[in-house]
This record gives sequence, C-alpha cells and structure tokens, in this order.
Amino acid sequence: MNVGYVAGRGPLHRSHPFTPLTLAATFAILAFVLPAPGGAAALCALALALALFEGVGGVLKSALLTVLPFWIFLFVIHAVIRGSPVTALDVASRITAIVIVFLTVLASVQPARLVDAMVDRGLPFSVAYLFAATLQAVPRLRQRAKDILDAQRCRGLAVRGSPWRRARALVPLAMPLILGALAEVDERSLALEARGAAYVVRRTPLHPPADAGREKMLRWGMLLLAVGSIVVKIAV
Amino acid sequence: MIRFDGVSFTYTGAARPALDSISATFGPGVVHLVTGPLGAGCSTLLLAAAGLAPHITGGRLSGIVSALGNVPSSADGRRALAGRIGLLLPTPWTQLSGMASTVADEVAFGPANHGWPRTRIADAVSRAMDRVGIVHLETRQPETLSGGELQRVILAGVMAMDPEVYLLDEPALELDPAGAEALYRLLPELAREATVVVASTDVDRLLEVTGRVWLLREGRCVAHGSPDAVLGTEDAVAARCSGTTAEIARSAGLPPPFPVTVEAAIGRLRR
Repeated sequence: MNVGYVAGRGPLHRSHPFTPLTLAATFAILAFVLPAPGGAAALCALALALALFEGVGGVLKSALLTVLPFWIFLFVIHAVIRGSPVTALDVASRITAIVIVFLTVLASVQPARLVDAMVDRGLPFSVAYLFAATLQAVPRLRQRAKDILDAQRCRGLAVRGSPWRRARALVPLAMPLILGALAEVDERSLALEARGAAYVVRRTPLHPPADAGREKMLRWGMLLLAVGSIVVKIAV
Repeated sequence: MIRFDGVSFTYTGAARPALDSISATFGPGVVHLVTGPLGAGCSTLLLAAAGLAPHITGGRLSGIVSALGNVPSSADGRRALAGRIGLLLPTPWTQLSGMASTVADEVAFGPANHGWPRTRIADAVSRAMDRVGIVHLETRQPETLSGGELQRVILAGVMAMDPEVYLLDEPALELDPAGAEALYRLLPELAREATVVVASTDVDRLLEVTGRVWLLREGRCVAHGSPDAVLGTEDAVAARCSGTTAEIARSAGLPPPFPVTVEAAIGRLRR
C-alpha cells in the first residue's frame, strides 16, 4: 500500500507545491458539484489518468483499498436496502475521484518543499511543520506498524488464520504502536525544541520553489472553476 | 557556563528525585564527563541544563539552573538561549526533523530555524559536515542512513548552530569503536571555545579526552574532580563506574587509588 511522497519527475512533482494542493481542492469541490454519476465518473477517469501520467500508479492500489469499504457500505445501504443502485454509484464515484486525486497529490508533493513554499509565503513555521508532519504521519505509522509486526512474528505471534485469531493479534500490534508513537512524540519534542523549532521568528526557506506566472494563472483558473461551479450549482 | 545550585528534579509520578540537591559548575576549557550507573540522573541533568526538564518532560524542579546567564526553566530564558545550547540525544532517528530530503538539509534545519541567511547556513553546514566526516553523505536521504551515520548527521546539525554549550547524551551510542574515538577526539577541540558536557557510561574511551568527571548516583553528585581522583576510588570501582582499566587494576590487587587509563596502569605496574 502506497501512501505518502514518492520520488519522481512528473509535472506535479516539478510544480510549485501549491499547484497540486489547489488541484486536489478543486477536484474535491467538482466531485460534489458536477452531476453524478457522469461527472464524478469523468473525474475518476481524469484522476486515474493523472496518477498514471505522473508516474505514481502505485497509489491506485492504495486508493482501491481505501474506497472498497465505502463501495461495499454504500452498495448495501443504497442498492440492497433502499433499492437505489444509482445513488450508491453516484456517491461512491465521488469518493473514489477524491481519494485518487488526494493520494496522487500526496505522492507528488515533497513535505520539505511544501514547508519551504509555505514559509516563503510568510506562513508561520509551526503551521507549515504541522501541515507537513500530518502528511508524513501515515507513512511513518505504517512503517512502524510493519516493524512491530515483524518483531512480534519473530516472537511467535500468529497473524494469519481465522478472523478471530487475526483480531486477537491486533492487541499486541496496537499497544506497542500507540505507546511507541507517544514515547516518540516526547523525544521529537525534545529534539525539535533543542534545534530551535519552538522559537522560530522567521525561518529561512532552504530551497524556495520557483513559482512561474503560468502556474499562478493555473491556480487562479482552478479556483475560479471551483467557485464558478458552486455558483452555477446554487443558481440552477 | 552552566551552573546548578541546589537543583532537585522529580519526574511526575516518580517515587524519588532524578536529581537530588545538585550543585555544579560546567565551563569551557575542558570536557566534562557526567557518569554513573543507569538511572543516576545523568541524562536528566542535561535536560535540566537545556531547559527541557520540566518544560517538555513534566515534573518538578527546585533550586537554580543558570545557563550563559539565563534561567533555562523560564520561557524568556529558553527564548534567549535558543540556538546557544546544542543538545544531542542518544537516539538519532527520533531527532530527525522530517523536513529534509538530504543530509545537508537535515544539518541545516537548526540554522534555518534561526533565520540565518542562506550563504551563512551553507558555510556552517559544510564546515560541520567536514568536521564530523560526513561530507560524502551530503546528498543522501536521512531516512536511508545507518544508526551510526545518522548519529553523526545529528551531531553535525548541532555543531552547525555553533552553540556556546554542547550537551551530549551518549553521543557515540550508535557508533562503532573507530567512529566513537573519532567523535571523542573532536570534543577537546569544541571545549576550547564552548562548554562541553557529555553524559555517558563509555568511560574507557572518554577518559582519553575528559578533563573533569562528575560522578552521579541515585540523582546525587557523589564526587567530582579529575578523572583519577573521582574514578580511581574503591567506591567508584566497586560501583562499576570507573571503566575496565581500574577494574583490572583492582582485580590485580593494586591498592587504591586505582589507575583509570592504560598509561597510568602501565606506570603503576612498572613501579
């Protein structure tokens, strides 16, 4: 499962970090504003093409695993119980489009570049750090969970077999994961404080990303599209 | 200069204080080694000196800690000391900023936080990497480094800030013997201009570079002075705080004070 930044040289990787973020926000708005299921299905196709073109096709598996429970839930609620499979398809395709595009953006924006971009625009470092740290939290926790799983299996923990056995195996995985993450928070706080992160007046962006005029225009265009689509939706 | 005046510190929920009535002065010129059995309070002493205990750790502090003329336990003191005290913790992977895609950027994290101009940051980073011997790692991703490499990267990050006080907690924990010795050889050089306090149980190697030893036990400072005077005593050797040479000398039947370095032991045996 692939969640988080993946090195690459696609257009989103090379662009100013605000551009992919604006793209994700625009996609999220359009997914709910465009008429479904046609509009959302078209956005799904577009998001899929974007992920492949960007060279981060690995996120599609993660997207599938993320949306699958939603699809099942929506199918049961809307198609089976309420007898409206179109509604299930409608909501599910909106969610799928949003998930694909967000995971694509997550895989394309390097947290360090995002921090530099935000600090360069005058945002407080604490806000930028919090934003970037949140983006990194999922891959970090996944890696830690994998390490704990490996360690527990070496110590004889059975993680395969019946659903009951798998459920029981969660306890010796979850406890070290949670306690370890909490302990790490303390140590990270000590280290960050010692390196001056708590008293930043104006951090120096080490590599402020270039922001070409056409990218700014593109972002304004996307924002106008998003706002315009909301206005049209309300008016019609 | 770091000064402790009757300092006690108790972690929240702890039955006994981690530091108990500590009075000590650490200044530049020599490398200070703070040592003792596990749980003696050596790491806590460094955290209190950096103003992080109780600020981050929680707990209760009494007595006066002053660092470079400021009180690090106060918010104003910590602000005044930001960047002037460099702290190295024993686990390097929890000290990564998470904001750097290369080693050079990781080393630059502290200086960038202080808003230095980019040219000054670049100079400080290349000088620190050169001194610690990690220039060849410059473009590597920090997450792909070994523990020992990472430890040196974090030390370079501390050195790049050019602090007036170095507080180093088990700085060679992840290093191989050669790497540890190379790092320790740097310490007297740093101590010429800055206060260097090392908390460690790696006494055998550190005695080569240490000028003053502070022996802690159960949070109390039980002895301080030159390495021979502090670690050559029957008490220190019996508590296994003195390193291998003194233990061998004691086992060989030499009378106290026991020699604590190989050279001193050879001298005594020749006599």
